[in-house]
Amino acid sequence: MVARLVLDTVAKSYVAGKGTVTALQNISLSLSEGEFLAIQGPSGSGKSSLLNICGLIDTPSAGQYHLSGQAMGQCSPSQRCEYRRRDIGFIFQHHQLLPAMTVYENVAYPLYLNKVRPKKIKSEVTRLLDKIGLSHRGHHLPVQLSGGERQRVGIARALIKCPQLVIADEPSANLDHKHAHSSLMLMRKLNEQYGASFIIASHDAFVIEHCDSTINLLDGCVVMPS
Amino acid sequence: MNNLLIALRNILRNRTRVFSTVLIIAVGLMALLIGSGFMLSSYDALQEIAMRSEGHVIVLDDESELVRGGTHQQLSLTNWQMIQDQMLDDDRVLRVLPRARFEGLISHGVRSAAFFGTGVDSKEEFRVHGPFLRTTNELDPWLAQNEVPDLMLGSQLARTLDTKTGDFLILKTQNSSGDLSEITVRLAGLYETGIAEVDDHTLMVSLETVRVLMGSDNISQLSIYLEQRENAAEIKNSLQKKYDGVTVQTWTQRAELFDKVKAQYDRIFGVMGVIILVVVFLAISNTIALSIFQRRNEIATLAALGTRPVAIHANFILEACLIGLFATSLGMLLAYLAANAINLSHVMMPAPPGRTEGYQIFIYISWLHYLLSSLVLIATAVVASLMASYNNARVNIADALS
Repeated sequence: MVARLVLDTVAKSYVAGKGTVTALQNISLSLSEGEFLAIQGPSGSGKSSLLNICGLIDTPSAGQYHLSGQAMGQCSPSQRCEYRRRDIGFIFQHHQLLPAMTVYENVAYPLYLNKVRPKKIKSEVTRLLDKIGLSHRGHHLPVQLSGGERQRVGIARALIKCPQLVIADEPSANLDHKHAHSSLMLMRKLNEQYGASFIIASHDAFVIEHCDSTINLLDGCVVMPS
Repeated sequence: MNNLLIALRNILRNRTRVFSTVLIIAVGLMALLIGSGFMLSSYDALQEIAMRSEGHVIVLDDESELVRGGTHQQLSLTNWQMIQDQMLDDDRVLRVLPRARFEGLISHGVRSAAFFGTGVDSKEEFRVHGPFLRTTNELDPWLAQNEVPDLMLGSQLARTLDTKTGDFLILKTQNSSGDLSEITVRLAGLYETGIAEVDDHTLMVSLETVRVLMGSDNISQLSIYLEQRENAAEIKNSLQKKYDGVTVQTWTQRAELFDKVKAQYDRIFGVMGVIILVVVFLAISNTIALSIFQRRNEIATLAALGTRPVAIHANFILEACLIGLFATSLGMLLAYLAANAINLSHVMMPAPPGRTEGYQIFIYISWLHYLLSSLVLIATAVVASLMASYNNARVNIADALS
């Protein structure tokens, strides 16, 4: 199986005041095409830092990062922006839907950014909204949706462009069990359909249970590969 | 993806703040338009005064002091009847009025005063001044059957001389030969220009009276009144080419008061315009900066999804444009309503320095001014939002999302 994402001895440290805080050290991992990987660990263990590096939101202080065979270390900010726009989908803990956009527009936005033809955008968004059971909510603003509906829209937005990699940061943290379960099932279903690789940071045992593999982080280090 | 609609929704998310910004810009624009409307009406009135008092085209002798920037006018223009005849045959010309300036002493009984007099065409002179010269009577030409020629006096000069219509007065001057000359005249009526300096010291008699008093057929200037002021330069050039020994000017070269007032008003409204632009700039900067601050999370999300920074700035600029558009539309509407209210309510201004009476405020509504001012304000809003966006929208995605 082709490695979609490879991290090789990645480290991340931040300057805090006069000192330096190490968030990640010697992280090496490989994610296959279509793999569903969970990252678990207590608060402050470096989960978010790792997701930010994997999602090209942040750059590692040391180590190598390859996405679909391409080295990301030397990418300029605009190239990273280009990769994020084209190849990476994000599912945020607080869904982060754009409040001035309707459900339809939020889901369509990544396609619009990738300059997909309006006709195709319409058919793709309609199809996906139908698939996640929110076709009747297309013209509603995020503020008019429930927490579970917002998260489903967030998932649809991440997957609409068929990304190579989906980064999900605590996707079930703000949901009740029922909605957390349905969101995870939706992600899993879309993962199978679209073939995207998933990295999910979560504390939720139910989420971890349904992932293909798990890594544990503690104080910025991988402590126990599953 | 309807960016305009999305920008509109974003604006409406902060209704209170946007409303206050719109109001600030609208009131600023209204003040600017009312001020510039008043300025335009003042320019127009001053142009009218200049054109009506001097004519659209003025023919002077080359030797006239006015040509060299002086104020004294001699009776030096000789061949004026020829020019007058030619001009009266021109369809573009309305009237051609000779004016003969002279000065001396006027006496009524024991009272005497220095005067600046003008010999005028008795029939036509009083038809060109319109509302800027109010008269109690017209000047009769000194016809053969009249024993004594008529005189029109500035209202203040008449008061100084304690004279009334029908009184006889004596004009004394040095004639063109250098001898002392005098003539008895009858006060036919008074006139008032509203300019104290003019009403205090000037008088008018017929051209025939000047001819007898000064012993000369010459005049000081020929004032040509046109159907359309736009033809002034063309007529000036053709006259200047055709006649030697004369200097031909247009009204703009003689409109000193207009030039001075225009320069002053331009400065006043220039400063006012700059102040309003600064206020608009600060209001928009503040609104956009606050909006960016409140939406840092949203900006980070846009960036995480792969939106280019320039597209993020463009969103805020579009919002600023919309705010500017709403505000200027409201400002234009308010200015239009206020201008009409002021014009209809006949508000009077107090007499300005050097004048004896006030005047009604009139606010011009110039759509070109409305449009240009609005465009300048919208451009200011765009620049302000661009700067605010550039300075504040460069967020660290990871920090903003955490």
